[in-house]
Amino acid sequence: MIAFKYTKTDGAEYLSHLDLLRHIDRTLRRAGIEVEYSRGYHKHPRIFMGNPPPLGVRSVSEYCTIDTAFGGDFKEAFNRFSPTGVKCVKATACERNPNFAQTITACGYVAEGINNFCAEELLACESIPVTDLRGRDVDIRPRIVSAGWRDGKLAFTLLCGEKNLRPDLFCGYLSQRYGGEAEYILKTESFGATVF
Amino acid sequence: MRKLLLKCEKPSRYIGGEYGAPHAQWGKFNFCMCFPDLYEVGMSNLGIKIVAQSFLDRGLCADFCFAPARDFGDGLKKAGVPLYSLSLKAPLKDFDMLGFSLQYELSYTNVLYMLDLAGIPLSREERRGGNYPLIAAGGPCTVNPEPLADFFDIFFIGDGESTDADVAEIYMRCGGATEEFYREISALDGVYVPEHTFPVYENGRLSSFAGQGKVKKALVSDLDGAVFPERTAVPNCESVHDRAVIEVMRGCYRGCRFCQAGFIYRPVRKRSVATLTRQACALIGSTGFSEVSLNSLSTGDYGRLTELLKSLKGALPPEITLALPSLRADSFEGDFAQDARKTSLTFAPEAGTQRLRDVINKDITEEEILKAAAGAFDAGYSAVKLYFMIGLPTETDRDLAGICEICEKIRALYAGKKRPKALRLSVSAATFVPKPFTPFQWERQIDENEVKYKQDYLIKHLPRGVKFSWSAYYPSLLEAVLARGDRALSKVVRAAYENGCTFDGWDNLFDEAGWRAAFAACGIDERSYVKERDEGELLPWDFIDVFVDKKFFADERRRAYEGRVTGSCLDGCKACGMQKKCPAARGEYDSL
Repeated sequence: MIAFKYTKTDGAEYLSHLDLLRHIDRTLRRAGIEVEYSRGYHKHPRIFMGNPPPLGVRSVSEYCTIDTAFGGDFKEAFNRFSPTGVKCVKATACERNPNFAQTITACGYVAEGINNFCAEELLACESIPVTDLRGRDVDIRPRIVSAGWRDGKLAFTLLCGEKNLRPDLFCGYLSQRYGGEAEYILKTESFGATVF
Repeated sequence: MRKLLLKCEKPSRYIGGEYGAPHAQWGKFNFCMCFPDLYEVGMSNLGIKIVAQSFLDRGLCADFCFAPARDFGDGLKKAGVPLYSLSLKAPLKDFDMLGFSLQYELSYTNVLYMLDLAGIPLSREERRGGNYPLIAAGGPCTVNPEPLADFFDIFFIGDGESTDADVAEIYMRCGGATEEFYREISALDGVYVPEHTFPVYENGRLSSFAGQGKVKKALVSDLDGAVFPERTAVPNCESVHDRAVIEVMRGCYRGCRFCQAGFIYRPVRKRSVATLTRQACALIGSTGFSEVSLNSLSTGDYGRLTELLKSLKGALPPEITLALPSLRADSFEGDFAQDARKTSLTFAPEAGTQRLRDVINKDITEEEILKAAAGAFDAGYSAVKLYFMIGLPTETDRDLAGICEICEKIRALYAGKKRPKALRLSVSAATFVPKPFTPFQWERQIDENEVKYKQDYLIKHLPRGVKFSWSAYYPSLLEAVLARGDRALSKVVRAAYENGCTFDGWDNLFDEAGWRAAFAACGIDERSYVKERDEGELLPWDFIDVFVDKKFFADERRRAYEGRVTGSCLDGCKACGMQKKCPAARGEYDSL
């Protein structure tokens, strides 16, 4: 198996998760990287992706695993045939599927455009109730790992996976509370036992 | 723009930069291929890619533009951003020519929608003297261009492989859309300049055409050597047919009497096994698609189909599936079924009884349909879709009962053996639309009460468990009106657009009230267009020559009423008027 870290930038942030999966499948076929297929009636390529970032959020820290016996320079082969903005940063061979969707538990982001505010004060709140995209009331405070200012940009880490907090929802809340609007959100890092 | 993109559905439709998209660069002549429907519909269309390729092959610029969904269109309007092309992100106004592909009548208002979003005046008259691109149209609907005559400068009739780019070269030579330019292009086959031709009416009836005279369709005789894009853009989001497409043949031998494509694409021309294999391999290699579709009007009639399938299987990677979307029931073989790994099969018997199938020259028997279904079931298929039409000439209740009987028989056939899954049988009944350049071009379309009666009959009588779908009355009426319409309809199309009608082909977006109001405001009774036409009458499209004789159509119509099958060109030439241009007429069925 090959696990690889890749980007979703330069327009690729507008690709939906399913579309991105199709693009990766096609990139691999163009690159001549043969992927194992599932053995069911509807055969599908064994490509395992991490949790998707929300549409419009750029990322330099996406992870994916493919079941392949490919022995060449994966990064070079992949990048030569991948669409703009979907570029492999690092690749490594692995014995078992790292299951990024489950093992990545938090992600780091930076955002620009939100008015300056005191991050300590925000983190000191015991609970932060918001209404999520489905109209449910949720307390997002337990899902905020950290927040602070770095070079004039807001840098923050949110839980992902089961206790996921969408960065755009978080930024929406900040805009409402402090003013300004998050123009660009970039996922910079993923945290978990399996990332490299 | 970013905010707008994030607010709309599927922003990847509007960002361009597709993998494999030809790198657009401004050139000596700049062409934008416009498709009046959504990105995911247009990206599946092979024709527009062929036309764009014909410009690129001559070193000219070709870019694309699709109709934005209403959410994005409204957003553009509000933001004051004119509609832009996909690759160059340039306003459409900056191109030398916009070529609209007219694939179906219900996309007409979307042409106006795109022009409007681009900030280009809709009619030729309003554009006169202004600095605007040439507004052109091509595609099957241009065989009757008249309903859109007010909006376009040029119509391309017939094959688009060379004429479109020829016109571009004349444009450059003449230094723009000068009088000389129009004079020169009018002499080309496949070019119609509506400004130069006027329908003349006497006592409310069309009596003659003044001006240019007959316009012959453009015809590519060597399909094997014709322009073909071996590298195509991979759509950003899933398109309706998300696969590589090769065009096996153009034209159809069958001559079903309702089918416009069967006549306007004559004669049958083919590509060789070697060319098709090369094109399929190149497409899969450059796009990474996992399926190749073998397109034509009737792929089963490709004489070397077995050889082709074998060649493709041998040359393509093993996981690539082959799709054969236009197989007639009588050419269906279980082998393909196993290859395709699909669960559903579609047949189009079109009519419920042998009598009516003879009337429409759908040269297929119930036995053949049942045999094909049996083969499919034995190969593991458990779902069958059947396409029928209601309102065909001479149809009676007996024919509707026949539809129900075919369903019963298919059910019995499935139940005859032990199968792992339950049968899913669906029936779709579209309302017959008489089209120009068919033997039924003079026929009437059934009225609202008849449509309702026939649909109710099927709802009541189809066996239980059959999933039945049908087409609504008004959109089918509108399709018939626009298909056989005249120049007077331009103002109706415009009024409908101004009433907010766009995406008329989409059931959920169709605005019947908007269209009805448009006809009323223009003082035109839409139903007058779907009455039977007299054979002696001059028809609005009679100045176009698709090389099939009007007399042949009239003879075919008479044979229809006599219930006589004419059959396929494969059984011998039927002398439709095309003989001099047709390889099959010379007995060359296997030639390319």
